[in-house]
Amino acid sequence: MTGEWTRRLDLLPARDKALLLTLAGAALAALLLGLGFGMLTGLARGGFLPGLDDETGYRLMTLHGVDAFFYWLSFAQVFLLLALVAGHGGGESAVAGRPAAWTGAGLMIAGFVSSQAGVLLGPPLLYDAPPELAMDPTPAVAAVHGGYLLLAAGLFLLAGAAVATALRTKRAGGGEWPSVVFAAVAWAGLLMVSAIAAVNAFAPAFLWAAGLGAMPADHSTAWHLLFHNMHYLPLMATVLVWYALVRELTGVESIFGAAFSKTVFAAYLLFVPPTSLYHMFLEPDLPDAVRTAGSLLSLFIGVPTILVFLMLTASLEAHARTQGARGLFGWIARLPWRHPAMAAVGVAVVNLALGGAFSFVLIQEKLAPLLSDTFMIPGYFHFLTIGTVTLTFLAGIVVALPALRGREIGRARWLVRLPWMATAGLLVFGAAGIAAGYMGAPRRTLSVAYDGLAPAAWPALMTWVGGGATVMGLAMIAYVAIVAASLFGSRRSEDAAPAVPAWNTVTPDWTMARAWTGPLSVFVLIAAMFGFTALAFDLMAGIPAAVAGGGAH
Amino acid sequence: MTADVRLLAAVAALWAVLSILYATVPMLAHMPGSAMLWGAGAVVFAVIAFIVRAAERRGRL
Repeated sequence: MTGEWTRRLDLLPARDKALLLTLAGAALAALLLGLGFGMLTGLARGGFLPGLDDETGYRLMTLHGVDAFFYWLSFAQVFLLLALVAGHGGGESAVAGRPAAWTGAGLMIAGFVSSQAGVLLGPPLLYDAPPELAMDPTPAVAAVHGGYLLLAAGLFLLAGAAVATALRTKRAGGGEWPSVVFAAVAWAGLLMVSAIAAVNAFAPAFLWAAGLGAMPADHSTAWHLLFHNMHYLPLMATVLVWYALVRELTGVESIFGAAFSKTVFAAYLLFVPPTSLYHMFLEPDLPDAVRTAGSLLSLFIGVPTILVFLMLTASLEAHARTQGARGLFGWIARLPWRHPAMAAVGVAVVNLALGGAFSFVLIQEKLAPLLSDTFMIPGYFHFLTIGTVTLTFLAGIVVALPALRGREIGRARWLVRLPWMATAGLLVFGAAGIAAGYMGAPRRTLSVAYDGLAPAAWPALMTWVGGGATVMGLAMIAYVAIVAASLFGSRRSEDAAPAVPAWNTVTPDWTMARAWTGPLSVFVLIAAMFGFTALAFDLMAGIPAAVAGGGAH
Repeated sequence: MTADVRLLAAVAALWAVLSILYATVPMLAHMPGSAMLWGAGAVVFAVIAFIVRAAERRGRL
């Protein structure tokens, strides 16, 4: 790897490398735990752990959500944020605000330990930790909420350090930031807002659990505000990592120019607040005008992601065609698929198409109340959380770690194969889960047999869910174990990731090149949305009673 | 002023407008806390835009 990003990471001072490696290590530890607990939860849901008591099952589910959704995504984001800013800015290659950054990392790790201990020692509250579910304030419940507050404080400080690092470039000579640095600053701002949202959601709950305040009456609403940010953030981070990796792995820059790239990344922030209206669809007395406005605005939620996808595919295709690629998909074959990061990003794009199509089914005003409390939700969102975001973040880590650690990541051939194996399990998990959800199977109930009173399809589909979760979990655990071994191991591997030759060693005249694959993919996505929506109506019309949602998502 | 500052300021402005709408339009009252959150976000992006602008000026001196 000889890209500018990794070259600058290699030049970081030892203290900054230690900070980034600490964040990467914490991220991988959180992910390993989250994957392990998730796989066990899947096995429990599939009926493969018959002796498991309900409380332990819900504790596994809670730990999976806490570790994977909150801590893995947060640690990975601050690692990638700092690595991208430090590796793409001009001037000195170093992290600014180092004391704040180290304090932030310490707070996040303390939060991780606190939340983990709270879940293990207290009642399993699920990852949103509603106080009303705990019923009584206890130190263990306070540890869960307090952990989230420490996480929020750490995120805020680390995001601040990222902005300070980016400002060095401006102070060094003014002028425009590179697109990646601008997008990273926008991402840092959204992280800060999310940290504020986390305090808004969990500070009252923490005070109550610590015996210092009354039970908060509106935890659910505050949670939805936080959640809207928390599921938007990783998607913005994902496309930014794609953008940076395309440049790093192929040498190709966006053919649309930096100004267009920045506008698209800023669009993420412009669309975040107005699209949050759809979270109110489950309110029974919501005015029709808000319902209509929410439906229309929700359609915009995927626009920035689709634009970045189009920008990247068109840039790659145009460059490849100027260098001889033929046929509709000939350019795809030229991508450096033997590199683990490229394989992970390729799989992530496929999974995003699937998860994205189903997400548009869910956020429709007529379907949201029917589907929000069903297993359709975990069925589709794992295409996004594991299949897209996690694989993309791992791709970023796989590229950045060798520069920070001074040694290549080993077993590259396995790292190329494992994302496809994980996706095979994900397809089984997702297909069975979405079908079960369309048939009304509940989302957060460990056993859906209901003593034989439930539709026969529910437990049968859950068996497939458990099987898919096992394959997906094992493949992902193996992937993370290989990356972690490279982080902590001392031997140099013989099976390192191959060096990637840059595509644009000459400046091609791409202005006459065709680039149809991206637009065609969007048409396929829209057709899939229509198809999955029609399927949803067909399946739900065929069951005797639809399950009305109660405010879960 | 660079595109960086203009875009960050645009985000702050839009979030401020939305915050005001959430605080003043009765039919949006189903999500209490929205006005505070998007308002706080507007402040965050306004502060970032301001310090980026200040850094640019310093860089040109």
